[in-house]
Amino acid sequence: MRPCGVFDKSYALDIAIIRTWQHWVILISALILLYLFPLFGSYYLISFINSLAITVIVVLGLQIVSGYCGQISFGQDAFMAIGAYTSAILTIKLGFPFWIALPLSGIVAGAIGIIGGAPSLRIKGMYLAMATIAIHFVVIWLILHLEITGSFKGLYPLPPSLGGFEFDTDERMYYIIMTTMVIMTYAARNLIRTKVGRAFVAIRDNDLAGEVMGVNLYYYKLLSFFIACFYAGIAGSLWAHLITVVNSEQFTLMHALEYIGMLIIGGMGSIPGVFFGVLFIRILNEVVMFTSPVLAGALPWLGTSPAAALGLTAFGLAVVIFLIFEPRGLAHRWEIFKASYRLYPFAY
Amino acid sequence: MRKECLIFLSIVLAICLSVVTFSSSSFAKEVAYLSLADYTGPIAGLNVPADMGLEDYIKEINAKGGVDGVKIKLIGIDTRYDTARAVSAYKRYRRDPKLLVVNSISTGIGKAIARLIERDKRLQLVPGDGEFQAHLGRTFIWGPAYQDAFAANLDWIMDDWKARGKSGTPVVGFVNWDNPFGRELLRGGKEYAEKLRIKLLPPEFFPPGTLKHDVYLTRLAEAGANYIHAGGVDPTPTNVIRDAYALGLTKKIQFTTGYWGPTALGLSIHAKKLEGIVNYSFFLRGEEARENKVVTDLWKKYRGSLDKFNGVYGMGMAWGMTYVAGLKAALKAVGYEKLKGDDMYKAYQRITGFERAGVQGPCAYAPDSRRGSLKIKMYQVKNGKIVPISGWRKTPDAVSLHKF
Repeated sequence: MRPCGVFDKSYALDIAIIRTWQHWVILISALILLYLFPLFGSYYLISFINSLAITVIVVLGLQIVSGYCGQISFGQDAFMAIGAYTSAILTIKLGFPFWIALPLSGIVAGAIGIIGGAPSLRIKGMYLAMATIAIHFVVIWLILHLEITGSFKGLYPLPPSLGGFEFDTDERMYYIIMTTMVIMTYAARNLIRTKVGRAFVAIRDNDLAGEVMGVNLYYYKLLSFFIACFYAGIAGSLWAHLITVVNSEQFTLMHALEYIGMLIIGGMGSIPGVFFGVLFIRILNEVVMFTSPVLAGALPWLGTSPAAALGLTAFGLAVVIFLIFEPRGLAHRWEIFKASYRLYPFAY
Repeated sequence: MRKECLIFLSIVLAICLSVVTFSSSSFAKEVAYLSLADYTGPIAGLNVPADMGLEDYIKEINAKGGVDGVKIKLIGIDTRYDTARAVSAYKRYRRDPKLLVVNSISTGIGKAIARLIERDKRLQLVPGDGEFQAHLGRTFIWGPAYQDAFAANLDWIMDDWKARGKSGTPVVGFVNWDNPFGRELLRGGKEYAEKLRIKLLPPEFFPPGTLKHDVYLTRLAEAGANYIHAGGVDPTPTNVIRDAYALGLTKKIQFTTGYWGPTALGLSIHAKKLEGIVNYSFFLRGEEARENKVVTDLWKKYRGSLDKFNGVYGMGMAWGMTYVAGLKAALKAVGYEKLKGDDMYKAYQRITGFERAGVQGPCAYAPDSRRGSLKIKMYQVKNGKIVPISGWRKTPDAVSLHKF
């Protein structure tokens, strides 16, 4: 819905993401705030935002393949692992600089993602989900058993450096991670307005109808997997150089399930939905994690471990309540909010 | 509906406010212990009773006025065995200068945090990864390294083999989780087997969470194993023995297990199937743990009846005892005001030989040692109980046999 009084007078305006000068002000202010944040933000918040941004990149990829193209994938964490290991191998064993390893990690993960996405040509829905779960286990098994990945010992990539300046703290890595996230978000937002994006939506809504209209299912399904895995690979590379150690235990199926949960809560088929979903789950996780010790301190009879279990229960309860009252995700709630203030004082 | 919602929100708000009010009442002199434990994930069966022991011990110390007037704050974080969560949790607390020790209850988490610990000049505890002994740093292990204990197990196997009147050397099978922890025992353990001329069969690994182990056990049995070492964290060792029992292997092959199982949990479910299996441990288990007055008195005081007592509780107490000994040494050296993680790191290296009420062998932390102790005991399940079959046995140095 357009803001009151805003009319699309040209095609360029019709497809513009930023429509009004107010939008520009908000966007530029947000970007300035984002980049100035390390100057006044606490260390913990910066490190939390770093991991939040990496998760946003992974889930953006998942949104493209699942939310827009309708292909359910539980392999996203495995492809993140591929990106992390590719980056570690390229920088440690082949001497590549991080700046080259970063895009290459995305490309390698994307290329392997095409193989992972191949079953989508024959199977759909839950069957495809099962196939992607199998991919997860195959990838983790290979990581654990190949010599090049350091086997069970893992690898220790170094922090990125540029002209002698080392990005060896969370505060310094923040700028790399944020810039990457902004670029990846912009790319994802643009992608869905292109011919490719519309083809993805056509496949999601009705693949047979899409094919009849000339959408090449074979090409576009594999392309969606490539893009999703490219995103996961980039996130994996950032994670590897942030934490400076990668081992197989860091990439679990639980994460992949959590990413799907983020999509459902945020809203399938919406870029802002990715941010809402990631923020909701991660903040809830963080609150639950840090409330437990406080609870245990305030209520000593409860004990440390039952307090943790209580937190987990609260987490599950919040998700269930949310799914009952807003099954279309937070993005839908956001749309309603926008519509209501744009039409104010009239009801939406 | 609206009214009910308001009442519900008011209750939630009231609880939150009371929690914040209580938690803000901190002590004047306080130091912190961060436990990155798995309370609700795959190794919760081990972590929960261990942290219960630690928690109760700290409560007891605080109730008596703390260590030289300094109270200890235990921060227990549920990592769910997830590295990302653990790293995030550590980053939340790493800037606290009075955070002296971080206990990372997972090999993977310990490795992920080790670099941050080095940078922060603090001290970290991890279960038993021998790599931290091979490359001396700020990461200390709870007891003897995994490979050292496995080597001691091989020593016992040789003794048992001879006691049975057999000549030559036995054939030993190995089955464990397919992850860094599961493979750690063989980094040095394999070389020690070669040294003893024991034929170690190609190891069998399975993913954590596997429910049936028939295929691995059958393969080892067909290869002629006389002994099989079943690894993993309980309930895994219990489940492996359960499957071996169903295959009729427990009658022909002697099974041994390591630090993490079977615990009281496994024994309460499969006592008959576990009969006769041998277990090695660096802390008191089963009946011996129940007979240790220091351990059981604390349990009774805070947990009541011994019905649900778990020997792992004593191990948690031993962490607390070590922390208190280290804290005393650190306070003596620099006093409370100047006390930092680095002082605790130095103090831990000075408490060599410290006794922990017999729950564990004497403390072996030293400038050239990251091992928590150097001794293990052998136990066996007899008549549904875990009973000792040896005194404290010295563990060989298997870490130095491996090139890390």
